[in-house]
Formats: sequence, C-alpha cells, structure tokens
Amino acid sequence: MGKESLQSAIIKFAPLDKLLDLGRANSLWPMTFGLACCAIEMMATGASRFDLARFGAEVFRPSPRQCDVMIVAGTISKKMAPAVQTLYDQMPEPKWVIAMGNCAISGGPFVFEGQYGIVEGADKLFPVDVFIPGCPPRPEALIEGILELEEKVTGHRRWPRVEAV
Amino acid sequence: MLSELKSEFASLAPLAVIETDYKVKGYHLDVEVGPDRVVDAAELLDRLGFFLEAITGVDWLGKNPVGNQPDPVSVNEQDPEAAEAEGEAGSDAPADKMEVVYDYNRTDGVLCRVVVRCRLDRAKPELPTVSRLIPGADWHERETHDFFGIIFTGHHDLSPLLLPEDADFHPLRKDFKA
Amino acid sequence: MNDLARSPNQETFVLNLGPQHPATHGVLRVKLTMDGEYIVDAEPVLGYVHRMHEKMGENRTWVQFMPNTARLDYLGALSYNHGYVKVVEQAMGLEVPERAEYLRVITVELNRIASHLLWFGAFVLDLGGFTPLLYAFDDREHILDLLESVTGSRLTFCYYRFGGLCNDVDDDFLTGTRAFIKRLRKRLPDYHNLVTKNIILINRLKDVGVLSAEMCRKYGATGPVLRGSGVDYDVRKNEPYSVYPELDFEVPVYSEGDSMARYMVRMDEIDQCLRIVEQALDKLPEGPVMAEKVPKILKPAAGDYYGAVEAARGTFGIRIVSDGTNIPYRMKLRSPTFSNLSLYGEASRGLLLPDALALMGSLDLVIPEIDR
Repeated sequence: MGKESLQSAIIKFAPLDKLLDLGRANSLWPMTFGLACCAIEMMATGASRFDLARFGAEVFRPSPRQCDVMIVAGTISKKMAPAVQTLYDQMPEPKWVIAMGNCAISGGPFVFEGQYGIVEGADKLFPVDVFIPGCPPRPEALIEGILELEEKVTGHRRWPRVEAV
Repeated sequence: MLSELKSEFASLAPLAVIETDYKVKGYHLDVEVGPDRVVDAAELLDRLGFFLEAITGVDWLGKNPVGNQPDPVSVNEQDPEAAEAEGEAGSDAPADKMEVVYDYNRTDGVLCRVVVRCRLDRAKPELPTVSRLIPGADWHERETHDFFGIIFTGHHDLSPLLLPEDADFHPLRKDFKA
Repeated sequence: MNDLARSPNQETFVLNLGPQHPATHGVLRVKLTMDGEYIVDAEPVLGYVHRMHEKMGENRTWVQFMPNTARLDYLGALSYNHGYVKVVEQAMGLEVPERAEYLRVITVELNRIASHLLWFGAFVLDLGGFTPLLYAFDDREHILDLLESVTGSRLTFCYYRFGGLCNDVDDDFLTGTRAFIKRLRKRLPDYHNLVTKNIILINRLKDVGVLSAEMCRKYGATGPVLRGSGVDYDVRKNEPYSVYPELDFEVPVYSEGDSMARYMVRMDEIDQCLRIVEQALDKLPEGPVMAEKVPKILKPAAGDYYGAVEAARGTFGIRIVSDGTNIPYRMKLRSPTFSNLSLYGEASRGLLLPDALALMGSLDLVIPEIDR
C-alpha cells in the first residue's frame, strides 16, 4: 500500500492528481460525530435551511472507515480522548480534520486553573486543518470552514471571498 | 403532611428537624440524622410515597457546616462580617466534616420537599447505601463517591461513573489540586 | 418477556454501543450483554463529556457561572438559565419585574418547543425516517431566529440576569412570535399526518419499553417520561413559579407508559407551549425588565437553597450552598436525564436491540447534561 502511494508521487500524473483533488474537495464525507453543543449546529448545517448538500459535503457517515473529514464538534474529555484518537486512526487516507468550536480549538470555556477533565484542543491529539471559532459557531461559519478546507485541498477557492463591509 | 412527617421522624432519633421557609430555602423540612439512620429515613420517606430527587455531598474543610441554622437570616439584614466570624470560629472546631444531602420530593400533587442531611467525619466518610431500597440512588451515590470519595458501604459498585475508569482523585474535595 | 431472554444460557456476548454511535445522540456508551438479538443486561457508561460544571461553580462568582448554565442542556438552555437565576433570586430576596417574568416565560416556552422539535426529528431519524428531521429543523430555525434577535445567540442562550433580563424585546419579536404561533399551528397537523399516524412508527413504538409509574418513582424519573407513565407531575403546576399560575394550560398525561405515550406527551406539549406563549403575549405588561435594587456584587446569606424548574426533559433542580461570599461554596446540578437514564438498565432487559434503541430515543437524552 505504502509503496503504491510512493510510486504515484514519483511518476507524476499532475492533471489526474488535480482531478482527484477536485473530486475529493467537492464530495467531502464528514463523520457523524457529535460531542457536545456544536454537534447541534453541525446538524443544523446539514438540515433544511443551510443545506450542506449545496457544497457536496452532506454525506455524513457514522463509520470512520467511510469518511475523509472529521468534524470535531465539541469538548473532548480525557475519558473520550482515546476513542477520538482511535476514530481518527481508523479513517483512511487522505483525511482532514476540522476543529469546530472553541472547545475543540483550545478547551474553550472549560479551561480553568485546576481543571481535571478535558483535553485542551483537538490539536493535542492529531493535526488539525481548519479551526472554526465560536461557541458554538454558526452554521454559516461551518460552511465557510468547509470552503476553506476545499481551498486547502485544491489550491483554489470555489467561491469569491466576501469582504466585511 | 409536615406535622405527620415530623412525628414520624421523631421515632428515628434525628439530630435536628427544622421546618424551613419554603419561599427562601426552596424546601419545607430539613432533617439531620446520624449515618446509622440514613437508611431508616429513606425507608420512611419511600413508604410515604416520596421519591429521591438527588444525592450530593458538601466538603466542609476548615469551616462550620451551614445550612440548617434554625433562623435563616433574611437577605436584607444579612451581615457578611457576622457570617465570616462564624466561619472563623468554625476553624478551631475539632474535626472537619463531610456532608451528604438527600433531596426528597413528591409527585402526587402535595407540595412537600424534604432534605435529609448527614454529617460525617471528613477523615473517614462512610455511611450505608440506600440503593438497595431506592434503585435510583445507585448512580447518585456513585457520583458522590466520584466527587468526594464518600464511601457508601454495601453499594454494589462504586467504580467511577463520571470520571475516567482509572480515576483515583476526588475533584470536588476542597483540597483537590489537579 | 421472551423466554430466551429470561433464561440466558452461556452463549451471551457483550456488545459495545458507543461512545461514538449515531443512535446514542452524543457520546453515551452502553455496554449490552446480549443473547442473540435480546438484551440480557444493559449498563450505560457515562462521563465521556464530563465538563466539570460543578467544579467550575466553585471557581467563579455567581454571575460568572451564568454561561455554564447554557451549556448544560444546550437544547433547552433557557430553562437552565431560569433555574439558576430563580434560586439565586430566591436566596437574595430579589423581586423580578412582571414584564421580565412574562418575557422569561415566552422565551423559555419557545425554547421548549425548539427542543421538542429537535427531539422529534432526531427520534424519528433513529427509527429510520429521515424526512421529518428536515421539517422539524425548518420550524426550529424560525424559533432560533426569534430568540437570536433578543438573546444574541442561536443555541447557548444566556439571556436572564439576576433580577430580570439583559435587554427588552422589540416589536419585531412580538409580531414574529405571533406569526410563528400561527405557522406552527398549521404545521402540527402535518406532523401528525406524516408521522404520528404512520403505521411503521406505531408498530415501532406501541407497547415498547413500558415504564410503570412505580418504576419512575423508584428511579426519580421526571418530565415527559413520568407523564407518559400516567403521573400528572409538572413543576410548572405542582410547584408554581414565575407567572405560570396566571396562565391557562394543561399538562398532557398518557397512562400507557410505552414509547408511544412519551412521544404523544411531547407532541401535545408543543401545542400547550403555543398556548402559553400566546397568552403571555396577550398579557405582557409594560414596564422595566430589570429590578432596580440589584447589588453589583452578589453575596447570598450563608446557607443552602434549592430551586427547581420544569426543563424540556424534566425537573432541573439546583442546590446552591453559599458561605456568604461572592463565590458559591457548592453548586449541585440535578439534571433530569441523569435520573431518567438510570432506569434504562432495568427497563431494557429482555427487549430486542432495535426496541431498546426506540426506548432510548424516547427518553430524550442530552449527554452533556447527564455528565455535567
């Protein structure tokens, strides 16, 4: 397996790689993986009003083996951390991670002197590609995060960036 | 209801039975019993149709337990200095206490909340379990054990409920340091 | 109970459900001992999202704890806000202006509808129906828009203050709420036609996971779970607080005790919530929304206080212990689903696995509230 992927790096199919990236970016399969409050906003993003299907990322899979993007939506407790780590390890390559909400970024409001229960950020466990701040972030913010990830995968942005007025 | 309860409780040799102001305190009757009477109190209230709403602990490290003074000072007249002085006086008390509080309530339309409290020696916090009588107490007792290290003798499984499986600390003790 | 389940032979196996499983609504884990498709024993394992709320209560001032109450049960955050401000107001002897109380009732009931709608969608999703979720979220978004316009957030509301509210509502909110009541009243029959009368749903829920009233009492179950077992208990009626005594509403009670009864209780409650909101809008008085004499630094008199409110999932009780300073000495949060879930082990014994999941869904779990 490893050798095969190395070979594809030596023999360059540049247009094919680009094409594959385009396909991946436009059909991200996130994992149904709600930890806390942010999961509800994640559900709202997938549901009728915000409709994540517009961006091709609506196929939420419950099994990590069928996913390529993990949206860490909520607080990772120390008890949960090994399970989260396992889920990440079970995902096939190529894979990406979105840390949604302050808890997944840094522990958020649950960090205080003498805290005993939470992991202060998903990046303590595995590499994170996109951070979305908010407590919880709005669905629009999650969509922006998905677009940001697409940009990371393909190298160009699908939508023009909206400038703040 | 209250007078009936009071006479029933009298047979349990309680350390204190106080009628409280529901408007301020949020409960009607405040009963303090010794650790050996906790199960009897649960039995009595269960027989009268009460249900157990919650069990919790309070760690009174270096303080005098507050909660069931006979005359709760009304808020407007409160004197913080007096309260503090009382706390300081408590620091020379012989032994620190750990408190277990049981909240009972009814669902049949009679408004009557009863608080049963039991004060334990902080160095050896042990009291019998009520989970054999009231299965709902099972998790509440495990949680209280998690947080305070209070041992409910006779409980079938006091392994951590909310804390990780291998947790050996009791975070809500006042001297806990992460 | 099936004979097979009653006499488990040596061939049982352990099935691990969760902590990452779509049917557990978050990070609940259930250790199931199975005999074929039948459950011999179920043991929920909690704590996967224990966020130290009670410890945090001892680390900050009374006001600083407010945002935590919004993150306990994020589907019905305002009930938790309400429970917390209520018990502290009780301890401090603060009077809340009438307008503020009415607005509290309006917002908290809207939040309750939002919570029940989400439960409805997610519950039917558990049973295999995807479409109702999209309907439910559509209506829920209207409520979130309304609440966002007054509270500033979509989910983790932190709107109440000790002695009142952080800001008054505007006319758009009032007209918007009336429009929403009209809209949802039209939509509810659709829900019933689409889902409640659906033969698949009825077969999945009828006589499944029957809980007796006595079992609920022994485990301390409250809320729709208790009312689905025929006990007429609602904190809003039995222990009246805020302005509920002045409003006319019914408490739906079903005596069957099965999952269908709990489903019906919640669906009927949406209807009653609309009634409450409508009346509260009619009676909404003018005036301030914040009490005048609220001290800048709160120091409740030493002692312990208990307060309870009816949250969307049952009785939320909060016990505060004050030592007379501006920092709570102890904060005990009694969450309804903690007790509601504790009966799961006994109630699911002998059920088929899919039925046990229907039972779990009908308990309406919010895991961060159980783990706190």
